[in-house]
Amino acid sequence: MATELPTTNGTSAQDGENTFAVKAGLARMLKGGVIMDVVNAEQARIAEEAGAVAVMALERVPADIRAQGGVARMSDPKMIKEIMDTVTIPVMAKARIGHFVECQILESLGVDYIDESEVLTPADAIHHVSKHPYRVPFVCGCRNLGEALRRISEGAAMIRTKGEAGTGDVVEAVRHTRTVASEISRAKGMSEPELRVYAKEIGAPFELLQETAKLGRLPVVNFAAGGVATPADAALMMQLGCDGVFVGSGIFKSGDAAKRARAIVQAVTHFNDPKVLVEVSMDLGEAMVGINTASELKEGERLAKRGW
Amino acid sequence: MTVSGADATTVGVLALQGAFSEHIQLLRLAAESLKTRNAHGSKWSFIEVRTPAELGRCDALILPGGESTAISLVAARSGLLEPLRDFVKVLRKPTWGTCAGLILLAEAANRTKKGGQDLIGGLDVRVNRNHFGRQTESFQANLALPFLGEPGGEQPFRCVFIRAPVVEKILPHQAGIQAEEASSDDTVVAPSKTPFDELAKEELNADVEVMAKISTRSPALRDNEDHDHPGTEDIIAVRQGNVFGTSFHPELTEDPRIHVWWLEEVVKAVLRRQQFELADRSI
Repeated sequence: MATELPTTNGTSAQDGENTFAVKAGLARMLKGGVIMDVVNAEQARIAEEAGAVAVMALERVPADIRAQGGVARMSDPKMIKEIMDTVTIPVMAKARIGHFVECQILESLGVDYIDESEVLTPADAIHHVSKHPYRVPFVCGCRNLGEALRRISEGAAMIRTKGEAGTGDVVEAVRHTRTVASEISRAKGMSEPELRVYAKEIGAPFELLQETAKLGRLPVVNFAAGGVATPADAALMMQLGCDGVFVGSGIFKSGDAAKRARAIVQAVTHFNDPKVLVEVSMDLGEAMVGINTASELKEGERLAKRGW
Repeated sequence: MTVSGADATTVGVLALQGAFSEHIQLLRLAAESLKTRNAHGSKWSFIEVRTPAELGRCDALILPGGESTAISLVAARSGLLEPLRDFVKVLRKPTWGTCAGLILLAEAANRTKKGGQDLIGGLDVRVNRNHFGRQTESFQANLALPFLGEPGGEQPFRCVFIRAPVVEKILPHQAGIQAEEASSDDTVVAPSKTPFDELAKEELNADVEVMAKISTRSPALRDNEDHDHPGTEDIIAVRQGNVFGTSFHPELTEDPRIHVWWLEEVVKAVLRRQQFELADRSI
């Protein structure tokens, strides 16, 4: 069972302020839900009808970005706007790592969350976006605890695993979730001086590491992402302690998108109920073909390596 | 932890999606606070509800914040939608909805997804979804909540509004569905249900009370260009008999006062039920 996330992320707000608690609060409302990648309004409606808690609007799903190559950038705001006008659930959009002007544009457009994402081509080889000044909240990917805490210290109000997007292979998402969990359990047993050394070792701010060790989990909502393709994959990530699941290419690159989407939604709610999992796993048609990350993916093709 | 047993009152939190863990944590805090306050103290059991069987064990229920469209779709596919309607409108047990939960408890709702959404109903109100705008217009405001004590005598409550709905209109109670509301294209309504006995009927037919409002001139709303409508106040909390709804998220604070207040209301409602059944048998 996942460790409980305490009920609030900060209490010091003045009236009217859109604070970290409000930004992290929306992520809490998405917990136990599925966020689906969509490339147009029609797919967004399918996702909404399937019970998605939010959609991620982007021009190409990761599997296509991978296949087509080239520079992947923020999507056309017009296309994002169409999706925002079509569905009533929150709409997220991706900006390139470090591309703070794409973030300004997305904020002004009024998206509900920005994903500063390794799936797009990084715009800055060194810096991530300073996310605190924005009214719009951010979600960022991580492979390990240090990376997660660096993103939170920059202002991310929600974390997801990087996994390996566009592969349909869940192994990297599992690796990243297990890595974060084992690093947190190491930190839990440490004295303050040991934690200071550990913070330096993993490149994490000491105060955030200390808070994480005390809570026994990340201090913000943490979703699985990158390679989830089946209801069983989604339930696996939930049983490993994730708060919810992003599904990218897994839905609209499969045979029967609407049915698979519904099945993954049910699997995330009832992740501990094998009877429901049997039922929803049946007769879903073809899953996305997938790329075996261990044998078919070259080091240079790994999206998870983008960012630090 | 909570004590469960034959004499414990079981409070469920609908755990299909959303901030259910936060409600359970605050219920535990509230139960602690009640225990220190009165010597007799009720015994409580707090459970997550995902199945009709779990719902069947509950004396009272919270519908948490989350995405109301997702919760209602998953509820329907999990065989929970009708049992939930029975819980709120036939058995009329004490229920509290926050944000998405308030939407689900409304008899009528605006600005739903294309094709509408299923509502549970139980509160004769029309809610306007995402009333204040999108996430960038989400906010918090420190508000005095009169039902928590003497006006001004208590500390303000930190109310967190996230893509929040408000109660746009209080509707007259109808014997059937809210027919006038249903005739509007943009509004969805909940199906009508018949309460199973006189007490349930009394709770269901009670007047809707406005429990809290936010001034549209509140500093929290001054810069919001999307929030433009006639009137100077928005209704953010209502009660109808033993069913309660708030458009904000008390579950996103460390302040258990509303949960304490609500558990006390649950105790009263459970007592009303016991006395009614006792009187009923003696006839």
